[in-house]
Amino acid sequence: MTDAILALLHMCIFPGGLFALAVGFFFKGLDRRMVARLQRRVGPPLHQPYIDIAKLLTKETLIPKTAHRTAFLLAPVIAFAGMAVCAAFIPVPGVFQGLTDMGDLLVIFYLLPIPAIALMLGGSSSGSPFGAVGFSREMLMMLAYEIPLLAVLLAVAMMAGKGMGTGAEFSLAKILTFQSATGQFGFNPVMIPALIAYLIFLPGTMGVIPFDIPEAETEILEGPLLEYGGPLLALYHIGSALKTFVVLGLGVVLFFPGTLTDIWIVNLVWFLLKCLLLMALSLTLVKSATGRFRIDQAFWFYIKIPTVLSLISLALVWWL
Amino acid sequence: MSDNTTTSKTFSMPLGPVHVALEEPVYFHLTIEGETVRNVNLTSGHVHRGMEAMAAQRNFFKNQTLTERVCSLCSNSHSFTYCMAVENALGMSIPPRARYLRVVAEEIKRIASHLFNTAIQAHIIGFTSMFMHIMEVREIMQDVKETIYGNRMNLAANCIGGVKCDIDTELFSYLKKSLNTIEPMLRELEEIYLSDKMVIGRTKGLGILPKKDALELGVVGPVARGSGIVRDVRKDSPYAAYPDLDFKVISNEGCCVYSRVQIRFSELFESISLIRQCMERVPEGATITPIPHIPTGMATARTEAPRGEVFYYIRTNGTDVPERLKWRVPSYMNWEALGVMMKDCNVADVALITNTIDPCVSCTER
Repeated sequence: MTDAILALLHMCIFPGGLFALAVGFFFKGLDRRMVARLQRRVGPPLHQPYIDIAKLLTKETLIPKTAHRTAFLLAPVIAFAGMAVCAAFIPVPGVFQGLTDMGDLLVIFYLLPIPAIALMLGGSSSGSPFGAVGFSREMLMMLAYEIPLLAVLLAVAMMAGKGMGTGAEFSLAKILTFQSATGQFGFNPVMIPALIAYLIFLPGTMGVIPFDIPEAETEILEGPLLEYGGPLLALYHIGSALKTFVVLGLGVVLFFPGTLTDIWIVNLVWFLLKCLLLMALSLTLVKSATGRFRIDQAFWFYIKIPTVLSLISLALVWWL
Repeated sequence: MSDNTTTSKTFSMPLGPVHVALEEPVYFHLTIEGETVRNVNLTSGHVHRGMEAMAAQRNFFKNQTLTERVCSLCSNSHSFTYCMAVENALGMSIPPRARYLRVVAEEIKRIASHLFNTAIQAHIIGFTSMFMHIMEVREIMQDVKETIYGNRMNLAANCIGGVKCDIDTELFSYLKKSLNTIEPMLRELEEIYLSDKMVIGRTKGLGILPKKDALELGVVGPVARGSGIVRDVRKDSPYAAYPDLDFKVISNEGCCVYSRVQIRFSELFESISLIRQCMERVPEGATITPIPHIPTGMATARTEAPRGEVFYYIRTNGTDVPERLKWRVPSYMNWEALGVMMKDCNVADVALITNTIDPCVSCTER
């Protein structure tokens, strides 16, 4: 019983729920501000994402006549719920060891694509042709970026598993312990291709330029999101903020989980700083230095570069 | 709307009339198969303002203001051509200084217009930083316009018989300084824009308009020159001070979106050199001549606007109100080429291809 309450607390307050939400939106605000500064603009205030959500929540919910009502309403809830659960599984090194000590990496792998699937569901149920185009693009993108993600996660799991003699280790808590004993994977030459692959995976899964193809504003007018407004759109945005926290946190946990001291607050700040660095490198800089790929170009890019890189790491881990 | 006329393999997609990537309302009815455009139907007429009828109710001076408001980015070309048409009808010739000053205004507008188009192109590709960079450089030209003419868009530089405002040495030296600032910036932009792998990947070989089709459709301006047709009114039938100035007509055999961007960038430097030549060679003297008695008759005039040839026809009946004023704008000629360019293109490229003809809906529908 206490376990269940504890799990619920982790899901609602820390590290999932409120904490992940606050961090995700803060990062989004920071990202907008940094992009603005790189483009010589002033940029919005840091709390702009919170304001946007507050405004959206006060608006009316409109459902198009052509939409499949249930699926249309359910899709943003699924996106939000999937990410809210997923965020609770992210351990914060030196602060929180993770919800469970077995198989949580697999759970995260299954939960991560949920927002994209929900977006596809919402897009195709909205009855708009833009949603349909967005649906097919999102599907192709998912095919492209899920392969390198799987290979990266496998490489990490096998690296830890081989070191501990268990084959493949899918527990984040054990991967953390292994890394603190033998050194962080991000500094291991064998794992560097996987790290690069993960960095390239980030803009794809977050749907930012150059991989914002399913939602390309100037091409298909936000695609699946076109028919959404008000609280439903807010739920998508909340899901996306949670996802920011999840993918950045996962990146830090997998590759740079080192802690500074035993004081939890310092470790927490250190963790967030590393997340921030990861975001600046893989999202902000990339976003402000590139244009948008066409869907076929993006697909082949993912097949050619991150997939190959992650497979190299996987093969190296296998043989060495 | 017959939007449901689709087969099982294709579906229809309404693009517009209000589309985020385009500044003006135009409605594309696309038939899509997967992500490929199979058919394009264009519906326009959303911003028809009845300007030709309005022009027949106003006197010559009021029409000067009216024609300047036909379009925003090539506003100067319209009043320029209108004034030329009236001058031809009245049998006037304008002072030499005015001829040079008209070219200065026209070329300043051309630089700003071409930069705007390339910026929007970057925006459509999703290259926001490039968009901001180009608009920042364009701001220098906007400052020039505001400093010299007092306005950022509608310069009101031309009037029947000459130009409205003289440019003194102080303003000329300011203009010279601004051109010196902007030139290296444009070189840098050109280098980045034309060598960026992503821009090349999105634009090269896209929106092909073969020379044969271009000739048949009678396209004008950078679209024609991008398909290897050397056509420029400034060279073909020189007007104002253009016969005395040295410049090249840039053309390119590429026939694609990329080659049209290349042309616009090269033309920027030609425009800068034209303004510099004007500043060196402009003679002293009057800037305006008085208007003679208005005869009955008709006349035409044509100029090269940033988007291509602008053609004006005027018929007078001896009063101060024209009996008929009619104009043909470059975008009108270039619209039809979209059908050829968009054939079997990707949905992602529709906005990009539309932007490449630098469409001006308000001109076309006036």
